[in-house]
Amino acid sequence: MAKIKVHELRAKSKADLQTQLRDLKAELALLRVSKVTGGALNKLSKIKVVRLSIAQVLTVLSQTQKAHLRTAFKNKRLPLDLRPKKTRAIRRRLTKHQASMKTVKQKKKDTYFPKRKYALKA
Amino acid sequence: MAPPKGPSGKSDVKAQATKAAKALKGNAHIKKKTRKMRTSVTFHRPKTLKRARVPKYPRLSAPHRQRLDHYEVLKYPLTTESAMKKIEDNNTLVFIVDVRADKKKIKDAVKKMYDIQTKKVNTLITPKGQKKAYVRLAADYDALDVANKIGII
Repeated sequence: MAKIKVHELRAKSKADLQTQLRDLKAELALLRVSKVTGGALNKLSKIKVVRLSIAQVLTVLSQTQKAHLRTAFKNKRLPLDLRPKKTRAIRRRLTKHQASMKTVKQKKKDTYFPKRKYALKA
Repeated sequence: MAPPKGPSGKSDVKAQATKAAKALKGNAHIKKKTRKMRTSVTFHRPKTLKRARVPKYPRLSAPHRQRLDHYEVLKYPLTTESAMKKIEDNNTLVFIVDVRADKKKIKDAVKKMYDIQTKKVNTLITPKGQKKAYVRLAADYDALDVANKIGII
């Protein structure tokens, strides 16, 4: 089988990718059987290649699916897996806007009494 | 809401009074709240309305793909001497199977992958932590033929 190129995979449709995935998995099953029954070296080395291609197909599938979902959920309340993951602590921090908010009183003070910088003449 | 003064005012008040009297007459039993009759000693939680969920947003954007599909259930068939014996004598095939697979899943997987009917599936977990499945085929299937077809002779 020809080596799988990922940019070619991205051009394929979802149904195509899924049939390819099934074929690859069936091939992997055969290779695993041959591993148990003492298969030829070229078969055994192919196992790694097939596993990698399965992973590539799955990656392309999920990436395109996520991209479509993001456009579908644009301007709506996002489901949890489309929200930024970062870390738990970062998600609980105040947003930049929230942290920079000031009371009206404080804003007035800043306007009328800004921090002045003076320089001394040597 | 004081009633307007004058001859019309008096009839208004009378109308209100008659209306109130009529209402009271109809609801005579409201005056005294009767207790519910209890026929059992135990108190059971009363059944209340259960409403279905109407989420404002789905928690998962899309349902996950199948986590243990047929290809993942069966890992590989066993070709040990005792497994060979099982093929010849007991019409069974022996597979190493994913630990999360149950007998129903194994039955479906074998049916889908090799087009055979199973009579029963016995499973055990080996000391190595792998699940071994003894799949007894139905009488109209020959384990030896199937084994040849799979490639484990």
